[in-house]
Amino acid sequence: MFVRVMGLPVRFALYILASLALMGVDARYDALGLLRTGVAAVLHPVQVGLARPFHYLQDALDFFAVHGQLVHEKQRLEATQRALMQQLHDRAWLAAENAHLRGLLGLAIPPGYTGHGVEVVQAMANPFTRKVVVDRGSLQGLTAGWPAVDASGLVGQVTRVYPASSEITLITSREQDIPVQVVRNGLRLIVSGTGQDRLLEVRFLDMHADLQPGDELVTSGLDGVYPAGIPVARVVAVEPPRHTPFARAVCAPVAGVGRHRQMLILQRETPAAAPTARPAGRQAAPTGGPSS
Amino acid sequence: MARPRGGSLRPRGPQLIAPAGARLVYGSLALAFLLGLLPWPEGWRWLVPDFTFLVLLYWNIHSPHRAGLGLAFVLGLLTDVARGVLFGLHALVYVAAAFAALTVRRRLENFLPPGQALQLAPLFLGKELAVLLLGFALGQKAIDWWYLAAGPMAAMLWLPVCLLLHRLGGRPPAGPAAAEGK
Repeated sequence: MFVRVMGLPVRFALYILASLALMGVDARYDALGLLRTGVAAVLHPVQVGLARPFHYLQDALDFFAVHGQLVHEKQRLEATQRALMQQLHDRAWLAAENAHLRGLLGLAIPPGYTGHGVEVVQAMANPFTRKVVVDRGSLQGLTAGWPAVDASGLVGQVTRVYPASSEITLITSREQDIPVQVVRNGLRLIVSGTGQDRLLEVRFLDMHADLQPGDELVTSGLDGVYPAGIPVARVVAVEPPRHTPFARAVCAPVAGVGRHRQMLILQRETPAAAPTARPAGRQAAPTGGPSS
Repeated sequence: MARPRGGSLRPRGPQLIAPAGARLVYGSLALAFLLGLLPWPEGWRWLVPDFTFLVLLYWNIHSPHRAGLGLAFVLGLLTDVARGVLFGLHALVYVAAAFAALTVRRRLENFLPPGQALQLAPLFLGKELAVLLLGFALGQKAIDWWYLAAGPMAAMLWLPVCLLLHRLGGRPPAGPAAAEGK
């Protein structure tokens, strides 16, 4: 009623104030998560439905692709598959052996991880952060903070979770920092995104640090977010310091960041309390005393 | 559509146009919003204009009693969620643009769509710029300035959108100015 009485400038001012208040609340506090979740829960099925015909179209085009190309692709994929299976077996075997050895040592078992396969639904039109939307959410047990990987390395991190979808911030985002370790010499560094697709950087590098082009960087696992040993990047060039006391290293991500439709989200297998309880009991039997 | 017949009794003023129906206004806005949700190729996402904004401005100018500041605000919030940015960012920009459009709509109605596109181009570009600058002001450090290109794209799309919605809304395709014989 009285809204109609107000003139256009007054209503304009009210709406502007409302927007500013919303932005302030959303930026400072996480109070609007529920509202956002509600709207996203409605939008997500629509997005999936809209994307489906295009996926079908893509699949149909793939179907009509040249036969030789398909055969070639199949051979390549089979080779990759074999290699991956081999790695998977090795990994499972190593993990088992490792668990056994660690059990013997009486140390806490580093928690294992399980994977959730997800599919990218949409790349978000967000001019500030490189994000994609995937088709699994809190209903499937996802939680913000988990790492996302593909067959070759780290892709990103789950940053926002909706009931049936999640937003994944890619490691090439500018605010995304990952603690890593150089495989060759164990040097610990922090790799950051640059906002460009095929580029990462080590921003504040000690100018005497032993880092060379070609060095492989893997996650160090020190942050408690990323499991240790996931390939992240390969050093492309080390730039000497110019105006700052720090050098800078340019790296290329190992994973196909922003290029695949499928990725894997890693979930820590057991809650933090359980694994510490189990080895403690096992530890008591063989060693008994304060061995470590 | 009630169009007066009979040459001598025909009014000389601008042609009467029935106001656009609610179904057309909200339906076209919903379609435009869905168009923005399509899986556009990732490498070209910055070039895709904000269809919702485009259609919103059209209705602000041609049917202000249906599309006012409130509708702009709600659509802005929806866009905020769809694009994963701060709540209220697009709402603010949409409301500001709708205000500008509502203020100048009387003048704009006397122009043909190409002229309108030229006059609205700064508004389209300004909208993209405002979104980026607001994000910057709120602490986003990495800004993809290529997203500004969506502004001129939207201005270029104004003409086809006008033709389409004029036709659907029962207006003469070239707008009221042409119908008067200017």
